[in-house]
Amino acid sequence: MSLYVYCLGDELTAESFEGLRGVGGAPVCVLATGGLAAVVSEFEGEAAEVSAANVRAHNRVNALALARSTPLPFRFGTLAGEHRLAEYVAANEGALLDALARVRGCVEMSVKVRRDAGKAKVKRQKARGGDEEAEAGRDAAAGVDVLKGSAGAGSGTAFLLAKRREILGDEALRRRAEEVAAWLAAGVSDFVRESSVRVGPSESLAVRAAHLVEGVRLDEYRACVHELIGERAELHFLTSGPWPPYSFSRIERE
Amino acid sequence: MDEVFELDEDEELSLLETLDHVLDHGLVIAGEMTIAVADVDLIYLGLNLLVGSVETVNRVLGERERRAEFPRGRALARPEKATEEGEGTGEGG
Repeated sequence: MSLYVYCLGDELTAESFEGLRGVGGAPVCVLATGGLAAVVSEFEGEAAEVSAANVRAHNRVNALALARSTPLPFRFGTLAGEHRLAEYVAANEGALLDALARVRGCVEMSVKVRRDAGKAKVKRQKARGGDEEAEAGRDAAAGVDVLKGSAGAGSGTAFLLAKRREILGDEALRRRAEEVAAWLAAGVSDFVRESSVRVGPSESLAVRAAHLVEGVRLDEYRACVHELIGERAELHFLTSGPWPPYSFSRIERE
Repeated sequence: MDEVFELDEDEELSLLETLDHVLDHGLVIAGEMTIAVADVDLIYLGLNLLVGSVETVNRVLGERERRAEFPRGRALARPEKATEEGEGTGEGG
């Protein structure tokens, strides 16, 4: 029997979770460990199954913790014996308290910016086409025998040309994604304490941003994001939150 | 996992957003995060929307395949499951 661990906090009490069921339907309880409280439930088995019910249960417990104070959430599937958990908290208590201080009073808000997959493909093809023409000009000026498409080229040459076009297309998409990320960051900067941003993780997903927002400024932040969305009709936005600060719960190991 | 396929689009989005947050971020106790990923394949197959979860799922599945190919540590005893230890730091998400 091990413990499924949901989150850590310094203002969490057992009463808040009374009657709540967690992953696997087990009752949720609070365990004092060092100067912190860990929200846990008993877990039988070797691994937490990634099912809709379990994912929702994990989030439900952390959402309730967030309603009481700002916790440091664990990733889904964190299992530990009581001794191992106490050892982890003892070994990292300073860093955990620092992390709690950093997120206190805040929630995480998520903004994902997508390109339309079809449009992205067309833009990508155009970017490739434009780059190819420019390159052809440069190569011709340099006296290089340019192979148009793959006609007359061996399969190796055709592959390398295709690969080159792909790389140039990827770079164009990345530059575009970076522009969107910079625009978003500048737009929300007045309302965000910290940001965690990933740019261009895939062809259709341009930007993935997590914003740490003070609870008291949440309405202002939402209004700001709403206004920003109105400015860029060519993009698709997926906003969600408030979340426990999953993206801001990193600690430096002690 | 039938539940996944009964969700309407909003619910599916909500589930994917949740999945994206709880699988990809948060504190990690080194070596103590063990998830069974067999059903993630079903979630993945049900997706029409490219959100971050797809990458998370791909990474988890890739990790599983890598560990199955080169088993070591905990994965040696349980090659059918993925053990994730944070993004190169081991602890601290």
